[in-house]
Amino acid sequence: MKPTRALFIVLGALILTWVSQAAVGYWQVGRLEPVLNEESNLTEPPVPSGLAHTGARVFAAEGCLECHSLSVRGPSSSADLTRGWGVRRTVPRDYLFREPAMTGFSRIGPDLSNIGARLPDTEKLMQHLYDPRLLKKSSTCPPHPWLFRKVPAGPRTEPGALKVSPDGWHQLVPAYQAKCLVAYLQSLTVNYALPEAPLK
Amino acid sequence: MNRNEFPPGSAAALVLILGSLIWSLLGAGLQLLATSQLLVPLLDRLIAAPWFSYGRLVPASQFLLGFGWLGSGLLGVLLILAPRFSGIAFRYGRLLFGGALLWQLSIFGGLTQILLEGPSGLVGLPQPHFVSLLLVLSFLVLGTGLTRGLGRTWKSGPVLPRLYLLLGLLAFPLGLGTAEVLLRGTSAPGSVQIITQVLWHSFYQHLWLAPLGLVLIFQLLPTLTGRAVNSLHLGLLAWVATCLLGGWLGTVRVSDGPIPSWMQSAGVIAAMLMGVVALGNGLLIQNLTEGRWEDSRRNVALRFIAVGAWSYASAYLLLAFLALPWFRPVLAFTVGWSAFFEIFTYLFLGSVLAGSIYALLPVSRNFGWPSSSALTWHFWGTTLGSGTTASCLLLAGAFQGLALNDPGVPISTLASYLRPFLFVAVFSQAVWLFGQIVFSAVLLAGLLRLFPAAAPMAVFRDPLVIRPAAVDPLHG
Repeated sequence: MKPTRALFIVLGALILTWVSQAAVGYWQVGRLEPVLNEESNLTEPPVPSGLAHTGARVFAAEGCLECHSLSVRGPSSSADLTRGWGVRRTVPRDYLFREPAMTGFSRIGPDLSNIGARLPDTEKLMQHLYDPRLLKKSSTCPPHPWLFRKVPAGPRTEPGALKVSPDGWHQLVPAYQAKCLVAYLQSLTVNYALPEAPLK
Repeated sequence: MNRNEFPPGSAAALVLILGSLIWSLLGAGLQLLATSQLLVPLLDRLIAAPWFSYGRLVPASQFLLGFGWLGSGLLGVLLILAPRFSGIAFRYGRLLFGGALLWQLSIFGGLTQILLEGPSGLVGLPQPHFVSLLLVLSFLVLGTGLTRGLGRTWKSGPVLPRLYLLLGLLAFPLGLGTAEVLLRGTSAPGSVQIITQVLWHSFYQHLWLAPLGLVLIFQLLPTLTGRAVNSLHLGLLAWVATCLLGGWLGTVRVSDGPIPSWMQSAGVIAAMLMGVVALGNGLLIQNLTEGRWEDSRRNVALRFIAVGAWSYASAYLLLAFLALPWFRPVLAFTVGWSAFFEIFTYLFLGSVLAGSIYALLPVSRNFGWPSSSALTWHFWGTTLGSGTTASCLLLAGAFQGLALNDPGVPISTLASYLRPFLFVAVFSQAVWLFGQIVFSAVLLAGLLRLFPAAAPMAVFRDPLVIRPAAVDPLHG
């Protein structure tokens, strides 16, 4: 085989692969738009707040994806819906405003696509981040104490301090990163209907 | 030998190979630590620091093993091998040396950033933007040097290794460049970002690393066995199929949701066809290794490369198995996929890399091996270690998948299903690490000439058979 012919084959194959996935993918799902919910007058999927946007970076940096996925499968191929991880399967439009868009390929822990609807309580999410065993003794999720400041307990409770104390002498105040992460987790919802994925 | 007698590019190759050894030990060490944390969750409470958390150790180890160990090592041995394709020597040795140093610097930068600042969350791109930029820059220098090794006319010399080298050289900058531009350079919509991540991951694994491994298989196996590839047409067909299908294999891992269904179906078909391609290449490998059992019992390089070649076929057959519609929903999101990673990374590419170093480095640097038994420890440690880990992870993945798909099984009990398998996996990962430490020690001792050489060429100890060294792989 001549080198030039080999070069054309390789370049042709690589460009074909690129075009058929990235370019066609962009054409097919990159131009999707949010849907207007006429009852609430809000768009779906909802646009995340600035805090949640930063929280996505914290979620990535803490490596949560190594154990949690962000993709609910349909009833035909899994028990995800029966487990209560979502009310419908996720579709490409759900990732429209996610930056960075993450999906995750591992499930040592539960899927978090709909965690915002399943566990909206800020205090519980904060406690889980500080030490997951505060809420569930058998949890294998690692603690993230570096997302909290330990402040000596006094007569005045710090604003936003957790209701639990590690030793009775200190109170736990969430750092900015913890607040962002919780905001991101609360923004993760797929409990709305889309034209291509109606609620059952 | 005077250092000036070494050909240009030799120093760059040495930097890349030594760097790859360090990153392999560090990467496998971090992986061992991460698996131990999964086995004993209390471990991550011992040191309450973000850099010690499971979520950072895993991406850091994957980055080190992929870019640091395999990327660096494969480029290093190719720098020794490529000028022999065409007989054209490198001209700008210092430039290549600079490129090799830059590659090591970017790996170090990536490692510290992932551990201290955290991974990016993007598939196959845990490193920050500037590290990718440095990697591309370094690769352009090293890759340009390697293209010189391809030669202008291919009338003489092997064709298949050159074709796979061409594929690997073009796929890396195209894939990484596209991914960086679309994922971090522009604000592509989230729905497109996942497609781009999967596309880059396919390029990285199946169009960059795998072809570089195949270059070494199709160059060194014929040289070491003294046989030619018996069907060039079959080889060419497998090469064209790899070019066309490799970029689709990443979509198999995505189950439902994030990307369009037709892409997932295309990925499944591509994985099935790649299984056939692997069988085709397996036929060529079978012809090359058939009846050479006695040689491979003695010749370390031949044995490692033969194991690597068969593991290549096994890895892609496993991928085809994982893509089957009956198994895919069960094994999605499980550690079963880590079994593929283990076979692909450690058994296929790791063995081929080790075999190539055994075959090429002593000849190019003019040194011998100080101990034969250390070579045996290396072979059995790494092969048994990675083979056992892969088997454990596959079984663990099956249990995990069945448990995930049974809503009656609480998710908090999932770890207890994995525990027995993880226990064996931790042990076998430690065995692999031991084998690699032995290899690093014996290689360093040989390079520094700390002990007298027991064997000019890497041979296993066999008191009954004393044979002269086999063919010089550099000069046939």
